[in-house]
Amino acid sequence: MPATDYQASFLGRISIRRNQVIAMDGNHEQELQDLELFSKHVSERFAELLSSPDDIPCHALLSISWLRKLLDFFLCCEAEFKGVLMMGNDPSQISKPPLDRLIPEFLDRSVKALDVCNAVTNGLESVRHYQKLAEIVVSALEQKPIGDGQSRRAKKALTSLMSAMNVDDKECSAAKATERSWSFSRRGVSSKDRVPEHFRSVSNQVAKNWSAAKQIQAMTNNLVPPRGAEGSGLASPVYTMSVIMVFVMWALVAAIPCQERNGLSAIHFPAPKQLNWAQSIIGLHEKIGEEWKKKEKKGTAGLLDEMQKMEKLGNILMDFTDSFQFHGDITDQKAEEAAARSVELAETCRRMEEGLLPLQIQIREVFHRIVKTRTELLNALDQVGKSSPPLL
Amino acid sequence: MDGCRSGVPTYEGDLHVVAAAHHIVKALGATKNLSDDLRKILIDLDSHLSMITSNIDSKGGRGLVDVEERLDLAERKIMRWETDPMMIWDSGPKEASDYLEAVDETGKLVDGLRGLSVHENRKQKEILHRAMNIFQTAMSRLEEELIHILVRHGQQFEPKNMYSRSIRKDIVYDESFVSVEDEPTKETSSQNCSNDESGECIVDLVHADVIPDIKSIAKVMFTSNYGPEFCEAFISVQKEALEQYFSFLGTENLSIEDVLKMEWTCLSSKMNKWTWSMKIIVRVYLASEKQLCDQVLGGLGSVSSYCFLEISKATILCLLNFGEAVAMGPHRPEKLLRLLDMYETLADLLRDIDTLFSEEAGSFIQLQFHELLERLGESAIAAFKAFRVAISSNGSLYPFAGGGVHPLNKYVMNYIRMFPEYWNTLNLLLKNQHPGVADQVTKPDYGPDTSLLTSCPMAYHLRSITSCLESNLHKKSQLYKDEALQHIFLMNNIHYLVQKVKGSELRLFFGDEWIRKHNAMFQQHAMNYERATWSSVVSFLKDNNPGSSSMSKSTFKERCKGFSIAFEEVYKTQTSWSIPDPQLREDLRISTSLKVVLAYRTFLGRNLAYTDDKCVKHTVEHVENSLLDLFGGSSRSLRNSRRW
Repeated sequence: MPATDYQASFLGRISIRRNQVIAMDGNHEQELQDLELFSKHVSERFAELLSSPDDIPCHALLSISWLRKLLDFFLCCEAEFKGVLMMGNDPSQISKPPLDRLIPEFLDRSVKALDVCNAVTNGLESVRHYQKLAEIVVSALEQKPIGDGQSRRAKKALTSLMSAMNVDDKECSAAKATERSWSFSRRGVSSKDRVPEHFRSVSNQVAKNWSAAKQIQAMTNNLVPPRGAEGSGLASPVYTMSVIMVFVMWALVAAIPCQERNGLSAIHFPAPKQLNWAQSIIGLHEKIGEEWKKKEKKGTAGLLDEMQKMEKLGNILMDFTDSFQFHGDITDQKAEEAAARSVELAETCRRMEEGLLPLQIQIREVFHRIVKTRTELLNALDQVGKSSPPLL
Repeated sequence: MDGCRSGVPTYEGDLHVVAAAHHIVKALGATKNLSDDLRKILIDLDSHLSMITSNIDSKGGRGLVDVEERLDLAERKIMRWETDPMMIWDSGPKEASDYLEAVDETGKLVDGLRGLSVHENRKQKEILHRAMNIFQTAMSRLEEELIHILVRHGQQFEPKNMYSRSIRKDIVYDESFVSVEDEPTKETSSQNCSNDESGECIVDLVHADVIPDIKSIAKVMFTSNYGPEFCEAFISVQKEALEQYFSFLGTENLSIEDVLKMEWTCLSSKMNKWTWSMKIIVRVYLASEKQLCDQVLGGLGSVSSYCFLEISKATILCLLNFGEAVAMGPHRPEKLLRLLDMYETLADLLRDIDTLFSEEAGSFIQLQFHELLERLGESAIAAFKAFRVAISSNGSLYPFAGGGVHPLNKYVMNYIRMFPEYWNTLNLLLKNQHPGVADQVTKPDYGPDTSLLTSCPMAYHLRSITSCLESNLHKKSQLYKDEALQHIFLMNNIHYLVQKVKGSELRLFFGDEWIRKHNAMFQQHAMNYERATWSSVVSFLKDNNPGSSSMSKSTFKERCKGFSIAFEEVYKTQTSWSIPDPQLREDLRISTSLKVVLAYRTFLGRNLAYTDDKCVKHTVEHVENSLLDLFGGSSRSLRNSRRW
């Protein structure tokens, strides 16, 4: 079936399929229904993610709770995908063309996704560090009356916070981490509150010279929509799941500080718009891609909604503490403004406190799930290989 | 309550009450065994009361002046260090305690002034801000001092000799300890490392002398609400120290993709290194880190376990990821023993992990460990199965020259010889794994007094493996066209099998019955060989007429010729065959000799009349000596080399 058939309406597609099905057995019909249901669910889920209201902070695009939803959907799609691929079907299908080529490619992508999961887990450690620094800012500004001491305390934590976000975002390389030392030169230090130089720890690296952007780029290798007759068979869920996997990993890397993200926006998704289920993914990709381009221009930190808020509030509060130190005192209006911002920051911290650990656990769950499916697919391939007559 | 409100306090009365209360608070504060929370409350109360006193005084005009004087004094003590290039704690204990005293005083003044600030006294507010400013400077300084102390007194310990015994002796450990020993030996506390048999070992990651200093900084920072700053500084220094130690052990971060692509020899050495590092990191380093956290932050609720988790998490995840990568790699048979090493290490460390990460926040790490253990177990079973599959599917197109011990047999037997070292683990993993329907034969029918070892899961599987091996060897033997050589091949190989079992701990798992059975088997093949080779040769020498004393000359001639040709043929063929085991070779020669030489001697003895005839090509002695040349592994010809 040519790919353009997907343009037809849902019912239309069913009838096209029905016509094809006539000559096939019931098993095959079941299979087609499963495929239909799978792509329908994919399309529904991603449409929900796309329509997530931006104005409600806890549902905003790329917020922690949005990412958790994304991962939830990934796990659901993954489970259905496995069902479609491995249950009720003739297992020998996976060793026949075109799956004999597509499955190994899919497995290769899975392994790459695992490394991305680890990189993101490491990134979340950094985000947690930001949260702790922001909490110090909040606790300093909470004190009444606000004085020079508090303001300096807040500023010190803010400086650490901003430079930490900056370092992580500047894709700090291993060289800096190894050079770093804790020596403080006491002589000639003018500032009263020295901020220790932030470093990116070695254990936050996946491996030397590893790059999240390159990894995701590599995941898109050979990722082309099935053509012709392949489009109606199992090649299509393999393709769909691959696109979902690449997208999810890409979105995670865009949101959370990761080792080497240069060139992330250049990654192109080979998902044709005429595929119904792909439309929302393409929409999300464009939306996040635009945000990323803005980020590249403005030089802000990761796209995680909470981090963007943190950065914005951080900048405002930094100005506040600066003016405090410069003038020695501030107007009541400014103090109120700062107090309001500080409450917002506290709210952001609270959301992080609630969401970061579950997100980390969920990413680990995704990791384990990918490993499990990979193992099952390999075992299935192995079984098929054994049952076929050995080549002598 | 009402009574309180009704009474209009007099100046004198106030002072008395406050003084009395102050007295009580001071007395209470001197009590030992106070909880930290309670102590803090008392300290707060103390500063508050002293402030009230000065406030009451201020009605007489003296209070704020007093406070200001006290603050001036504390400020001088604190600010003088801001221009001093020396670190305070490096300058001596007196300096440190003076500084802490000044900080404490400032803190008290801040707390007291803040308690009164409702009065909106401008002067008072000014002093408060000044005090808080000084206080911030002091806190910031304490953070720096903390980092300095941790870095300066941080100690590394030598991992040498540690756990070296646990590296199994018969496994080549390709990464020697040399690289580690090359590092300059620091004066570390490794001497206070109490390494007992179980390998428990705690070292001082930070010199014991400075622990009280760190504690005093922690105490003042936490009571002043600067706990988060303390934690951040403490965590970053200790985390980095752990990472440095991690790379000092020679462990590097590898992506899963890299691990999956790795060559076996490289992977094997990384797996060994992992096993070793894992033990040191968990049992020594993390145990010591936990102790340090508890020493410094004990009594502050969950702070200690929070810091410990933050310090160790990244490194732990890094180690776990390598394990995950290994477990998901291809299940090659040669991976089995390394996987078992990793599995055993992890299983062994589970209890430590569960203790180290016992708090709820650490349950994530605990869970990951348990998951990895399961995964490694599955992977080991898969490698075990792959081993069996590799044995049964090992195919040959050509017969193995000479009929000696097949390389597959050597590989398998030398490999499984190491299994008994892992028998507990293997038993656990193989408990629910059935060797397969085809291997019913391996069920022991040894009667009631079967020992425990021969009926354990590993024993079943071992026998199943050798039975796979045997059937493969049978298949290989079919490749020989010569039936006699088939028997030689099987005799050699089964003999080898039995020797390997008997000469190692394997015998305990195979049992005497198995050994007897297999002894009988190779002996049967020896007999079959003799029959296949020599029956036809000896048949020339048989007396068809046992009653008569001799045969006709022409018959004798014919028989002699027939024997010579057959014997020479056997000689030519079987000198190229091989029986690698000298004892087995010797035994077979003797028994052949007995059969052939005896028959030949009898034959010639009965026909003495014709023995001078040229038709007797070989003397008895010659036949006997020639037999010694058989199974030497190189073909010889009797006609050419020993023409007589």
